[in-house]
This record gives sequence, C-alpha cells and structure tokens, in this order.
Amino acid sequence: MVTPFLFFLLAVVAVTAALGMLFSRNPVSSALWLVLNLFCIAGLYLTLNAEFIGIIQVLVYAGAIMVLFLFVIMLLNLSALPTLESLDWKAVAGFVVAMVVLAQLVYMLASGLGALPTTILAEQAAATGDASTIAKELFTRYALPFEVIGVLLLVATIGALMLAKRKPI
Amino acid sequence: MLTDFIPLFIMMALALGLALTLLNLGKFLGPKRPNRIKTMAYESGMDPVGTARERYSVKFYLVAMIFIVFDVEVVFMYPWAVSFQEFLAASPGAALGVTVVIVFFVLILGIGLLYDIKKGGLEFD
Amino acid sequence: MEITLNWYLALSAVLFTIGVMGVLFRRNVIVIFMSVELMLNAVNLTLVALSQSMGDVSGQILVFFVMSVAAAEAAVGLAIVIAIFRNKLTVDVSEINLFKY
Repeated sequence: MVTPFLFFLLAVVAVTAALGMLFSRNPVSSALWLVLNLFCIAGLYLTLNAEFIGIIQVLVYAGAIMVLFLFVIMLLNLSALPTLESLDWKAVAGFVVAMVVLAQLVYMLASGLGALPTTILAEQAAATGDASTIAKELFTRYALPFEVIGVLLLVATIGALMLAKRKPI
Repeated sequence: MLTDFIPLFIMMALALGLALTLLNLGKFLGPKRPNRIKTMAYESGMDPVGTARERYSVKFYLVAMIFIVFDVEVVFMYPWAVSFQEFLAASPGAALGVTVVIVFFVLILGIGLLYDIKKGGLEFD
Repeated sequence: MEITLNWYLALSAVLFTIGVMGVLFRRNVIVIFMSVELMLNAVNLTLVALSQSMGDVSGQILVFFVMSVAAAEAAVGLAIVIAIFRNKLTVDVSEINLFKY
C-alpha cells in the first residue's frame, strides 16, 4: 500500500527520535526530539491516506502542545537546575516493566494476526481520510461526543486558569 | 494518494535547504574580525549583568494555554467549513443541524474565554 | 515487499514501549508528560492504521478526540507542574510525594 522505503525511513526516524527523547539529559532537547517524532508520525498518517489527521497532527501537537511544553520549560528555567540523574534500582524495575508491556503487545499482535484484515480495499481506502469524509461522521453520528469534547476543553481552560494564576481567585 | 503531496514535500525540502544554505553561506563568506567591543551585547551603554535566561511571567502561560484551546476549536471548525456545501446540497435541514452543532461548540468554548477575561487571566499589569 | 497493517502495529507497539520506559525511567515531570504524549501518539497510529485497514472512518474521529484530550491534559498538567514548582522549586517526581505542602 505504500512504498516500503518511505515507511521504513519514517519508522526508523520515529523510533530514533523517541529514544533521543528518552535519553537526552536536557528537557529542551527532549522536547525537540519529540517534535521530530511527531512529524514522522504525521508522515506515517499520510502514508495511511489519513491526510487530514496528518495535517492536524502537525498543527495541534507540534504547533501547539509542544510549544506549550517548551514554554513551560523556559518558564521554569529548568536548564538552570541540576540535571536529574536517574540510574538506580527504579531504572531496572522500569526496564523490566516496559519489556513486559512490549512482550504483551507483541503477543497480542501475533495472536490477533489471523483475525485482522491485512489487505486494504482500494475503494474504501480512497474514501477515508479527507476532511469532508470526517465531517460527515463527526457532525452527525458523533455530534454528542463532539459537544462533550467542547465541555472538556472548557473545563481544561478554567482548571488551568485556576491552577496557574498566582493569587487564589 | 501520497503522490499528491510531492509538491508539498519538495517545497519543505527547498525551504529547509535554502535556510541551511543561506545561514552557512553567511558563515563562510562574511569576514570575521571580532574584538572585545564588537562581541559585547551592547556596543554602547551599560554592560549587561546577570543571565539572559530569566524566568518568564506566568501570564504568558495563560495566553499560550488559551491559544491551545482555540487551536483545537479551529481544527474542529475546519471540516465543518469544507463540508458545508455538501451538507447544503444534501438538504438545508442537514446544513442547519450541522451549523447548530458547531455554534453550540463555539459557545461552550466562548464561556471559557469570557471566564478568563473576567478573572483577569489575559491582563498584563 | 508489501507494507501491511502489522508493520504499523509493530511500530506503534515499539513507540508505546518507549513511552512507558520514559514514564518509568525519567524523574523530570515534564519529560514524563512528554512520554505520555508519545504513548497517546502510538495509540493514535494504531487507530489510524486499523481505521484504514477496515475502511471505517470512526477510528480517525477517535483520533480527533484523543488529540483534544491530549491538549486539555497538557494545559491542565503543565498548570499543575507550575503550581508545584512554585511551592517546592522542583520538578523531580521523587521529591513530589506529598498531597499538601
């Protein structure tokens, strides 16, 4: 369905960027590695014909959420703090737990292979992913969840304002 | 499908290449004769004191947070805008219903903005 | 060679695991938040791949909702980080161990 070269390029860069986020000491470079990873995932969405989601990924994640992260790092001036050393028994326990999670995911993946459709129907694949197809579902069948998302964002606005303002309101 | 985006990718590659080329061109071609006066932050006036990485005010965070919320709102409005004609072609009732959905959504988020303004979250004093 | 659904699911599993490792390894609370975002992204990739594979657009709608929740989570979570930092002057999770300060 896509050229293997493009997929493997994006996948390798995405995993490398995720590892870079995990292992870099400076939180600012962590955030920038994550931005690279988000761009790669946006490219993967494009290979899946989900073009609208891909653009939105760049807009919302890389454009807004990561800016907020970088902003808070600058706001708290974290580079002036001593970097956190973190190699102790917790790291070993964390590694074990993470490997267990990976093993579970791979096991589920392997056991579910027979049940999943592996081929893409061309006419369906062409229909999914652009903005008007999404709109037809989003504003009719998913209208109520959509409004609930609005309420969630309202609560987030009010909650963040209450928490971040210096004086109690 | 993906081939539709090839012009976009070419444009991104060109933009990146142009930026890197111009930045490095200046480094290679420009003469550099630094001395102590030139490398100071202000060539005339007071010597700078302290670090440049002061903490920002939390007011900026509130503005950025409001920006995130309204960024998501615009993302949701975009599919409405591009598909409105199709809904209108289907039936005027469908278009009206969809518009009611989106207007209600905007009103809900407008409450948050009003609250923010009322509590002075956007004031810089 | 054909890139099938399984490759996407495997990539998503690897990214999710790296996110889990970030949450468990790192002590900087902001990096932990970023790892949570990475895990959300891995799940989004699964949703889009399966939505594409089944020819059903509902998975992509769910990705929208996940993105909105991620934005709300980032806004509130980082506000909590700012509030904690104001009181304790640290972002180390092993020192943030009290409900009340």
